[in-house]
Amino acid sequence: MPAVDFDSITGKCVIKGESFLEETAKFYTPLVEWINRYLRTAKRIELILQLKYFNTSTSKWILTILGVLKEFERNGGEVKVEWYYYKDDTDMRDDIKDYILGSNLKIDMKPFVE
Amino acid sequence: MVKKKENYNFSLYEYHNLMNQNILVSYKGPVDERIMTVIGENILLVTDEGDGKAKNKIFKVFMELAQNVWLYSAESCKLENGKSVGLGTLVVSECGDYYTFVTGNVVNNADVVPVIEKCETINSLDRESLREYRREQRRLANEGKPNSGNIGLIQVALTAESPLDIELTPVNDEESFLSIAVKISKDNFKNN
Repeated sequence: MPAVDFDSITGKCVIKGESFLEETAKFYTPLVEWINRYLRTAKRIELILQLKYFNTSTSKWILTILGVLKEFERNGGEVKVEWYYYKDDTDMRDDIKDYILGSNLKIDMKPFVE
Repeated sequence: MVKKKENYNFSLYEYHNLMNQNILVSYKGPVDERIMTVIGENILLVTDEGDGKAKNKIFKVFMELAQNVWLYSAESCKLENGKSVGLGTLVVSECGDYYTFVTGNVVNNADVVPVIEKCETINSLDRESLREYRREQRRLANEGKPNSGNIGLIQVALTAESPLDIELTPVNDEESFLSIAVKISKDNFKNN
């Protein structure tokens, strides 16, 4: 189960760890609802992802969250997304590039050393 | 002389020999997230691949394939927490320059054709096309479109950098045993 830290004061939302839950909808629906609620009055949001491993149903939810942020950006909001990945994990690197294409969002790719 | 056990007609010795020395892990039983994690992490301990990239690939391929058993096996059992999870077999072996992952479970015959078609599509695509296919399937899944499943199999082929081998054995008129095998070449652990 990933660790989540969403801060309504700073607008910084962090999801990190591993995500291969069975009931991803149960876990991610409240997060998407939180973001939607937060964005009603916010001017900016920052999303930080650091997922060592996530399953395919989680991958769908990441795209959902990025879609919500893209919509916010289209409506004039400021969005910052940082995605941390282990520097030798070239599969993850390629996957993040595909998320950039899939979401049309600028994502800062941040390689790190374990 | 030790008396032969008569309460089961199964030779554990033969089974042990069948699981020859190339096999790192073999498991048959219920598969859920807890069991997958324990076995997945155990594989990392016995593969002796110090490099992070190798570990990532091995763990990811194992987890994706095991999840297919967990979520799609037609045979299931209830765990003590009341959750119903899929039953199946997971085998990981190491031979020369390859690791091989094989998972198997019973499937309803009605579900077989889409899986075969999906594997054929995956095996026909090069890496770039496969990434495009994953983006497309993820977008469709995100929009809640039907028949957009099996992104996990695309993920397996991309991570393993090799085609999927599938084998079907009829069990009865309604069910078959589906096994999916994939190899990871140790050459793929080199950085690029």
